[in-house]
Amino acid sequence: MNRMDQIVAYRCKKCGRIHYPCHDRCLDCKGRDFDRLVAEGDAKLLTYTQIFNLPWGFEVRFLIIGIVEFENKVKAMGQIHAASLEGIHAGMLLKPAWQPVRQVAGEAVYGLVLYP
Amino acid sequence: MRDVAVIGVGIIPFGRRDEDSLLDMLAYSSLKALDDAGLGEKGVDALYVANMGAGILQHQTAIASALADRLSLLPCSADTVENGPASGASAIKNGVLAIASGYYDTVLVAGGEKMREVVGWKATDFVATLTHPQVEYPYGITLPGMAGMLARLYMEKYGLTEEQLIAVSLKNQRMGSLNPYSHVEMMITKEGIHDHRDAIVNNPMAADPLHLYDMCPVSDGAAAVMLCALEKASQFTSNVPVVVAGFGQATDTHTLQERDDPTELKAVTLAAQQAFARAGLTPQDVDVAELHDAFTILEIVESERVGFFKTGEGGKAAERGETALGGKIPINMSGGLKARGHPVGATGVAQVVDIVFQLRHALPEGRQVKNAKVGFTLNFGGFGNNIVSFVLRRAE
Ligand SMILES: [Zn+2]
Repeated sequence: MNRMDQIVAYRCKKCGRIHYPCHDRCLDCKGRDFDRLVAEGDAKLLTYTQIFNLPWGFEVRFLIIGIVEFENKVKAMGQIHAASLEGIHAGMLLKPAWQPVRQVAGEAVYGLVLYP
Repeated sequence: MRDVAVIGVGIIPFGRRDEDSLLDMLAYSSLKALDDAGLGEKGVDALYVANMGAGILQHQTAIASALADRLSLLPCSADTVENGPASGASAIKNGVLAIASGYYDTVLVAGGEKMREVVGWKATDFVATLTHPQVEYPYGITLPGMAGMLARLYMEKYGLTEEQLIAVSLKNQRMGSLNPYSHVEMMITKEGIHDHRDAIVNNPMAADPLHLYDMCPVSDGAAAVMLCALEKASQFTSNVPVVVAGFGQATDTHTLQERDDPTELKAVTLAAQQAFARAGLTPQDVDVAELHDAFTILEIVESERVGFFKTGEGGKAAERGETALGGKIPINMSGGLKARGHPVGATGVAQVVDIVFQLRHALPEGRQVKNAKVGFTLNFGGFGNNIVSFVLRRAE
């Protein structure tokens, strides 16, 4: 099973709600104690888009961006690396990786990359 | 608490205004509102200025202090209000509270943004800075991208169609062509943006499944309203006062991924419910509404969440013409953000200006909702994480 050590979510010790990113108090019960929860397994695609008007720092023609849910219920946004939207559909399983997603001042910024 | 009224309004044509600075635009719209309210040669107690991006786009801060000086409103209190794309309605809300509490009698609220002096990717990037800096922004997500993801979920869950989105686009573009303050004056046809074999050239995909004509333009512009205690309004003007009958504001999670159901837009529902409860009115009492259609999908979802239509029915209602002039609930008779334009800090103020025109019965045939008595606005901040809405009524 893949482990996405870079995607660390926080599970409320009191009520179990999973948070990603972290919050100072639980969104449900306002508890302040959390267990770290590393995103695990394949990522199920919940929704996605392909955008053509890109902000600063991208030298590609378009980006495909989606929100996924990992097997252990952690949800996160990531870039889907695919040539087009062909074959991409909600509910499909994607393989996660931690790779460069953007350049800032010549430096690579790493993030969640998803492969069909 | 005292009743608060809008006694003056001012707006300048939105669009590309290379000749004007941000402060110029704020000053022009403010002077119009002061004159309209009969305060052209008087001071005000307080000034609130809505602006999202001058610090980034113009490298200028403390806009309210600068505007108070230009308008010779000294020594009034002056604050800049930044609440993303809902800055305009937030600034008005603060003015309403200040008067309702009895602290001030007269408050000028101006909202403005100058977005066209930077290149397109900079403007897109500037708005994207409201997304989460660690778990959203680095991926290159934009506000159109967020709207695209919402539209896809809506298509899957409720059977929303491209034709329903186009119905909103055509209506708002048609209304914008009749509005002298509108950024986009061009009429479009369904053939030109959808049916014709070359339509994809005119209307390319922008944020799948949304096309170019599902998006609002990037605009310069400003608008202003003069607020006053209702009991004192007649001291200044014979304009029919428009009473701020209620406002509502609600927040939601910063990221889309942390909402149990991102199609719910809970903060929209809550803000509208609060505004109606405070006003003692219901969605069925509303004669005309200005909703935040930065993307066509938003007008549809908002029209459901605020209570005009049942969930999943907004798109069909738009396609049947129920949101057009003469329909069940006319929405965005100004052209909305889609056609009037979306200079972010100005938008929430411009929405109230347009409803005031409607409730004064001041618009020409073709835009005026006959005998409109109650109006509604919804200003959508973040991607649905900070919503401000107003119920306005014509004072009898
Ligand atoms: Zn909890």
